[in-house]
Amino acid sequence: MSSATRQKVMRHLDIVKQLQPSLHVETHAPAPDQVDNEHYRAYTRMSHDVGGEPDVPITWEEKEEEVWEHNTFVTCEVLAWRGVWNAEERRRRQNVDVGQTQYLGLPYYGRWLLTAARILVDKQYVTLTELSDKIDEVKKRYE
Amino acid sequence: MAEKHKPAPMVDEVSEFEVLEIAVRELAIEKGLFTAEDHQHWTEYMHTLGPLPAARLVAKAWLDPEYKKLAVKDGVKASLDVGVDWVNSMPTKFGTPSDYCNLRVLEDTPKLKHVVVCTLCSCYPRPILGQSPEWYRTPNYRRRLVRWPRQVLAEFGLQLPEDVEVRVEDSNQKSRFIVLPVRPEGTEGWTEDQLAEIVTRDCLIGVAVPRPGKTVNDPRPVRPAINPYKH
Repeated sequence: MSSATRQKVMRHLDIVKQLQPSLHVETHAPAPDQVDNEHYRAYTRMSHDVGGEPDVPITWEEKEEEVWEHNTFVTCEVLAWRGVWNAEERRRRQNVDVGQTQYLGLPYYGRWLLTAARILVDKQYVTLTELSDKIDEVKKRYE
Repeated sequence: MAEKHKPAPMVDEVSEFEVLEIAVRELAIEKGLFTAEDHQHWTEYMHTLGPLPAARLVAKAWLDPEYKKLAVKDGVKASLDVGVDWVNSMPTKFGTPSDYCNLRVLEDTPKLKHVVVCTLCSCYPRPILGQSPEWYRTPNYRRRLVRWPRQVLAEFGLQLPEDVEVRVEDSNQKSRFIVLPVRPEGTEGWTEDQLAEIVTRDCLIGVAVPRPGKTVNDPRPVRPAINPYKH
């Protein structure tokens, strides 16, 4: 990589880093003159495209699986088995369409789960009302 | 002696994730998108998975030069000999529903070390290696391994000499990878079973190398689940 390219890449990653989920930064649909091309490129980067981004060392952990995590994985696989969605749709929805904030802010299978709910609604297998009624009904079981 | 009881929580609060998971699964079944049996069938299939077939593939390759050639040339075909059929082993009978059935076996040499990542998501050769570890899925591992592989490997306890080339393989939708490490010294005359025992999951991902007497991954902190799934 040439030094000019490297500089460009590092600048891009710097801006991307500022797009990490943040609850206290005001970006209220700025006017066109407030978004330069560098920022445009940073905003249109896909949130899952993290290879090469700088980060600090962390403790590598193993993790116990939650029951809902296991079931979510199986549900997503079985939805694909039965033709409700294909691999491309799943990737697009789980990795890109969720957006940066949910991508980095939710657990791995949390993204999968939201996406599974959304595919049922988007493809009109269930209505939003059916989904919210079902959620209420499930919650009542635990009251 | 009296059995120790944990005090019952004041409110047995269920998480939104748990609620949504149940809701989605039940709605999908009610609408006939899949059956409860399908879900159960897949769960049972998951229970059969783990790193053992991949470990056996490596052990066989160490013992049989012809098999090693096959493994490197055609990982899918070589998988058949360790009981993994990339099309018919799954309940679908059409391969994985994530649509991948291209296994590549990456052969290490004394001067070349492979390590696997999936920078875009967390692609992993589940049919032959089981579920991926949590650290493999972290943005941190995916971010750094492609740019600072030696440092990341050192954090896993694998210090490589400067004259060993590191090759990071980035998984993708259609292709999945396992590492065929160098057979360690001190294993002369070992059987396939003995050899397979030292080929741990971490060796197959490439963040560790096999050593005689070492049959488990390096110990790491385990993040406990609130409501753990019993495998």
